[in-house]
Amino acid sequence: MTVQAGETVRPVPASAPARPRRGGGIGLGGAFVIAWRAIVGTPLRSILTALGVIIGVAAVVALTAIGQGSTAGITRNLESLGTNLLTVQSARGGGGGSLVRAGPRQTVTLKDAEALSTAFGARIAGVAPTAQSSVQAKAGDLNAQVTLLGTWPAYETVRNSPVASGSYFTQADVDGRKRVAVIGAQVVTDLFADTPDPVGQKVRLSGVSFTVVGVLPDKGNSGFGNANSQVIVPLSTYIQRFSRTNSASGQPTVSNVYLQATDKDDLTALVTDVTDLMSTRHEQTDPDNLDFSVQNQADSLASLNTITNTLTLLVGAIAGISLLVGGIGIMNIMLVSVTERTREIGVRKALGARPRDILTQFLVEAALLSLGGGIIGIGLGIATAYAGNSFGISPVFSATPIVVAFVFSALVGVFFGYYPAARAARLDPVESLRYE
Amino acid sequence: MTAAAAAPLAVVELQDIRKIYTQGELVFEALRGVSLTILQGEMVALMGPSGSGKTTLMQVIGLLDRPSSGSYHLAGRDVTTLGENDLARARNEDIGFVFQAFHLLPRQTLLENVEVPLVYAGVPPRERRARALDLLERVGLADKAGSRPSQISGGQKQRVAVARALAGSPRLLLADEPTGNLDTRTSEEVMALFCALHAEGTTVVIVTHEADIGAYAERVVRVRDGLIESDRQQVPRRPGVAAPLPVAQAVGEA
Repeated sequence: MTVQAGETVRPVPASAPARPRRGGGIGLGGAFVIAWRAIVGTPLRSILTALGVIIGVAAVVALTAIGQGSTAGITRNLESLGTNLLTVQSARGGGGGSLVRAGPRQTVTLKDAEALSTAFGARIAGVAPTAQSSVQAKAGDLNAQVTLLGTWPAYETVRNSPVASGSYFTQADVDGRKRVAVIGAQVVTDLFADTPDPVGQKVRLSGVSFTVVGVLPDKGNSGFGNANSQVIVPLSTYIQRFSRTNSASGQPTVSNVYLQATDKDDLTALVTDVTDLMSTRHEQTDPDNLDFSVQNQADSLASLNTITNTLTLLVGAIAGISLLVGGIGIMNIMLVSVTERTREIGVRKALGARPRDILTQFLVEAALLSLGGGIIGIGLGIATAYAGNSFGISPVFSATPIVVAFVFSALVGVFFGYYPAARAARLDPVESLRYE
Repeated sequence: MTAAAAAPLAVVELQDIRKIYTQGELVFEALRGVSLTILQGEMVALMGPSGSGKTTLMQVIGLLDRPSSGSYHLAGRDVTTLGENDLARARNEDIGFVFQAFHLLPRQTLLENVEVPLVYAGVPPRERRARALDLLERVGLADKAGSRPSQISGGQKQRVAVARALAGSPRLLLADEPTGNLDTRTSEEVMALFCALHAEGTTVVIVTHEADIGAYAERVVRVRDGLIESDRQQVPRRPGVAAPLPVAQAVGEA
């Protein structure tokens, strides 16, 4: 339309529109719309601005999920090795601490195990001393390196290691030093690939022929050592045929004695009593420098938790630093943005924007950038954690780190957005309208 | 129109306004005691060479800048002592700005640009949309409501700016060199719009250094060296008609 001379023009609606409220200004909704426009108007820049927060939040979410996943995995493994478990073994590096000696001196003997099994009666559900070494196993033309483990039949329940087929050897087999063996899943694959049922077959261990009586199930390759390449035989047979380690007094030694307590609440008391008994037997006088150690499985879990907590703290520190860096990035770009939009701010002020309206607009923009970064970061972190899954750690997600990361990223936006926003709000309208 | 005729309301009442800028040792007095009354319904041209103080005067009238001394009553209310928030509110409700460089918000549609003063006034969305659409229709750009400022010509931009200035139904339409960035033909279009608004009773103040543009006003206030040099009524030029006489001459004879 071109208004020409003499042309009658439609009058402007005379009555002003209702002015219902004042004091609210643009409000959060209005500020949100303006901020959203500014953010999607320069998508690349917005992404780069939020990148610090994205990476920080993603790191937190991924690391905590992977950390919790691996902790859960280790805990599961530990518990799968038997519950209410006490382990008695030779002290690590005990007795003088000579640098020349490799590994602990074996001090725990078979006699100790026998004494332990009779001393505590019903307080103990089972005792399983173990001695082990690495040997060559052969069946027919096939051979494999296996971990040979000599123990008592109670090993099945104490270490929670039942057979998949066949059965364990019995106390009679131990007493008679029978050449019978329970073999792991990997041993079956290596030596009896063509045999439908290895139970009853012969296997030669370091040249000694054994009869397979049981097969262990596939325990997976997680955990300590490969449980699948185990061959379990009676301890008496093992000592007779393979053991070359004797204590100072000439007694055959074992590497561990596992004791399973009947009652979980008795574990702590049992540790004391076992320590007392062993101290007496080994004639130990210095309780701080014993030649053996007694470990409670619960203690292992507790120390694992301590490690986990330390790691969590470290992850938190990384997160804090990256959110700080991310926040500074946002502040930097918001300062640039305020400078670039000086004229827009002047125009808005001329049209009636109060300082508070301008403050809200830029604060919401910073918070939106940061919060958007937080949300993208959470998504990216979850994706990363699942990518870690392919390396064998199944991530465990809990709400806390995600919520904390989310809230923190919002706070970072508000905190680091405040200064630029306050600067925008303080701009002089005349100066800013003149700004080129 | 004289002040005595029907005793119309004074929209702007300036009394001995001074504005002093200091920059380090340098002291510059942009306004050196300006008294000016603009009545409701007037169309006034504020003229003067650059550096005369007319822009400063416009900024004081538009509440963008505070005078160093003197009193300013806007529609009877003393506005020299208002705080930052009340000034923003007064700009929003009482003043409609039109700038030389249009100053439309580039990311917003034309409709949203017109809505901006209503947003700050707290008018609900539906209502302000309807009002903004009315105003765009009024300046003949309703069909471009969804366009961006970059998609329209300079003359169209200034018409949108006028619609935006009118959105809050201001007491005073304040235009700072509104044709400074326009060619002669579109300048005339925009001035015709101002004349039409004036004919409807809107109070219009146009700051300009172009005699051609000043000719449209019925009253010309000349500023020089921070003082009002002359303040005269004249027979305004009619839009679409060439100025009847060279403006300088017309002003001189008035």
